[in-house]
Amino acid sequence: MKYMRYYETLYLIRPDLEPEEYKSVIQKYNKIIEDNEGIITKVEEWGKRELAYEVEKFKDGFYVLVRFCGDADLPEKLQRDFRIDERVLKFIVIKLKDKVNPEELKGEISDEKSKDEEVKAKDGSK
Amino acid sequence: MEANKTNKTQQTTPIRPYYRKKICKFCADKSLVIDYKRPDILKNFITERGKIIPSRISGTCSKHQRKLAREIKKARIMALLPFVVY
Repeated sequence: MKYMRYYETLYLIRPDLEPEEYKSVIQKYNKIIEDNEGIITKVEEWGKRELAYEVEKFKDGFYVLVRFCGDADLPEKLQRDFRIDERVLKFIVIKLKDKVNPEELKGEISDEKSKDEEVKAKDGSK
Repeated sequence: MEANKTNKTQQTTPIRPYYRKKICKFCADKSLVIDYKRPDILKNFITERGKIIPSRISGTCSKHQRKLAREIKKARIMALLPFVVY
């Protein structure tokens, strides 16, 4: 049995991109994770949000949150690409759990999805 | 002699200012998560100038204050909270 680490990354994309290019940025990073044997459990697009301070003269930007599990060298690869990419203004990669069983995570994926739906349903009822 | 007496009375009856016992908000409300992704919650623990409010004022317990400070700093990196407000 091989254990993996569970990570979370939040990154900020420039606000002046075309919708297609914005999608391609997300796809690019999801692909990097998957190419390096990572498993994506959640991709959350926060949409356009106002920033607390100006970043490269931009006052807002698109936030994207990705949860994934992978090997210890994956965040390094991801961060290197984040730094090179000019479309990404800010990024942060955080380790959530040290040892996770990828098989169990697959169960969690469906769990989280159903939880999300529950939350949405609750929000709707309010 | 006279001075000594007054000193003694001051020691035996210390002035007790009225104050309310502060309660850590995160201990009282377990649903309140400390997370850098929730600037709406963290915003309550910084001043208008963007500084972190000390626990002696907010009443947050030391365990939660440490976590709070860490998460506020992460949120600042991601431009969710300001470093400084002019």
